[in-house]
Amino acid sequence: MTATEDRLAKEPVTGEPILTVKDLTKYFPIKGGGLFRRTIGQVKAVDGVSLELYPGEILGLVGESGCGKSTTGRAIMHLQPASSGSVVFQGKELTGLSRGQMRPLRRDIQIVFQDPYASLNPRLPVYDIVAEPLIIHKLAKGEELRTRVRALLELVGLNPEHANRFPNEFSGGQRQRIGIARALALEPKVLVLDEPVSALDVSIQAGVINLLEDLRDRLNLSYLFIAHDLSVVRHISDRIAVMYLGWIIEIATTDDLFNKPSHPYTQALLSAIPIPDPRRERARKRILLTGDVPSPANPPSGCRFRTRCQKFANELSESQQAKCVDEIPLLEDRGTGHPAACHYAEAIKVL
Amino acid sequence: MTTLTKPEPLKDKPLSGAVLEVDNLDVQFPTEDGLVRAVRGVSYTLRAGEVLGIVGESGSGKSVTSLAIMGLLPNSARVTGSVKFRGRELLGLGDKDFSKIRGKGIAMIFQDPMTSLDPVYKVGYQIAETVRQHDKNVSKKGALSRAADLLELVGIPNAKDRVTSYPHEFSGGMRQRVVIAIAMANQPDVIIADEPTTALDVTVQAQILEVLGTAMEETGAATVLITHDLGVVAGVADRMLVMYAGRVVESGPVDGVYYTPRMPYTLGLLGSLPRLDETEKTKLTPIKGSPPSMVNPPPGCPFGPRCPLHIAECDEAEPPLTEVEGGHWAACIRNEKLEGHTEAAEFFDADATDLTAPVLADALPGSDAGTVTTSEDRK
Repeated sequence: MTATEDRLAKEPVTGEPILTVKDLTKYFPIKGGGLFRRTIGQVKAVDGVSLELYPGEILGLVGESGCGKSTTGRAIMHLQPASSGSVVFQGKELTGLSRGQMRPLRRDIQIVFQDPYASLNPRLPVYDIVAEPLIIHKLAKGEELRTRVRALLELVGLNPEHANRFPNEFSGGQRQRIGIARALALEPKVLVLDEPVSALDVSIQAGVINLLEDLRDRLNLSYLFIAHDLSVVRHISDRIAVMYLGWIIEIATTDDLFNKPSHPYTQALLSAIPIPDPRRERARKRILLTGDVPSPANPPSGCRFRTRCQKFANELSESQQAKCVDEIPLLEDRGTGHPAACHYAEAIKVL
Repeated sequence: MTTLTKPEPLKDKPLSGAVLEVDNLDVQFPTEDGLVRAVRGVSYTLRAGEVLGIVGESGSGKSVTSLAIMGLLPNSARVTGSVKFRGRELLGLGDKDFSKIRGKGIAMIFQDPMTSLDPVYKVGYQIAETVRQHDKNVSKKGALSRAADLLELVGIPNAKDRVTSYPHEFSGGMRQRVVIAIAMANQPDVIIADEPTTALDVTVQAQILEVLGTAMEETGAATVLITHDLGVVAGVADRMLVMYAGRVVESGPVDGVYYTPRMPYTLGLLGSLPRLDETEKTKLTPIKGSPPSMVNPPPGCPFGPRCPLHIAECDEAEPPLTEVEGGHWAACIRNEKLEGHTEAAEFFDADATDLTAPVLADALPGSDAGTVTTSEDRK
């Protein structure tokens, strides 16, 4: 069965989205050094992100460091309130809610953090860590609480007999499983996974990826899977959104994105990732980008990628370049089968 | 672009053959818990002009090996064995003598460009310092212009103006270019690059690997590339070593190790990697458990507790590295079982996460046979 058939057979992405994000922005103020610390500028970490997450779907959100992918996740979770835009979860608007109003909704949308060494309280035994959400939401107590914690630990592949141990007695992969058990305690519908495997060694990482896949299938969860590693994202996601400097620059089903990457940045990203196959790797031609990501405090006009764009530098005429400088490219389908935010989007084969 | 002239090779230096010979290198650190055996009997030969990849997961001893070669370990470390650079023993060399080799004979590129440059000196000065350290005849001005040439060579725009910049004015990728320029400055015979791209984004990683290629070409240096990324090694290296628990468990030509691995650990590692070029969605095959403690490792194969091919005999003695075919070595007594098998799924269980059998709990420190200290002992 090919990947496409497999995916189509498993999850028909239809119906109402469970989570709709529209024009989400998150600006961080830059304060001056004077007495009044006036705001002298803004870091536009997330600058108008729109996406939809369907029930049972895994949406990968990828980009390099500083592109705003984690901030997007946190703004959706209302951990860092968005500057503007809307986040609609199961028909309810989340932006602008107070902490108290948000709390009941947190049962349905949970987050798993990147660093399993920093996200678990080192002074609480594992039992207390996993039981805490259930206690806060008053969902279980006494014997029932104990049974549920045991079941949760088993669910993520940990031995319930180790519930009395402290996080420092567990390896990185096991800690990440504890974090996942904690997130699942309230039986959420959506999990925001913020780089859940990037702190782990590959042999351990594979186990956690398999666990996340199993859980999605068993519990019919939806994931917003935030990661920088496109190989991992390809493996796990149904659809992928690529971010650059606060924008989504391309969004497509996994197979489309890898077979027909249309934005020059996606193309460069795909070509830059090494493949663990010596013969293929030696034969590959890389698209090398020049320079570094510009500062999000002062992004380039028009298309934000144009300063590093291989197409802008090598292929476009001056009049075509002028359009990149003056006009912001919208995220729309320009005949490549899926939306890409490039005036001159063109699908090419990179892999 | 400026080309650098390679200085005349010394008469006693053989230009072909081995430039760096590491023999039975052992590194131990005394700690409160006991002696940590970070590196155990590592041997390899680096030939002139070749690229040797060293891969392994965190804690496998790959970085400590290189620090030992460069004489950069703290005094408390106990280093035994032999490291020969062009036939000259390096272990036990005094700091003054070692300084003549560091940078000139063997140069090192570290993982984190944010910390490997001195923040209070201009980058031009830092490069010029390296140049003048080994050649006092170069004037300060000459060294600075050399610095500009080197910066240009590693692809820093407006190199002439950037010599007077401080490291904080550069981005991570640019800083790593400066570090590479420093490593190239004295035309070393060996460059040791310790995770040179790990701290960088993939598009920048691609640029830096390109620059590293330029550096190798310009200096003709043999290179040791240490990384945890099996993809990086695949494209760059000629030969490779796979390290596990402080030992080399497999070594050989890159193609041999990738296409016909003969050590179960290597096979498991390849099977647990999601592939960018996967067209069919196959389950990953994780390796159950976690690496053993390096304090008082038990006899027998260190990978034994995690190995799908494990038999009682594996626990008797640590398997020696034996040649399985021309130039390809593996430390596994059952390596012939892997002959002709290239799919990790044939041996490793994709359901190591089987929810009814919490196997990973067995890998807790102390709860498997692989470690001596148990949590009860520690309490």
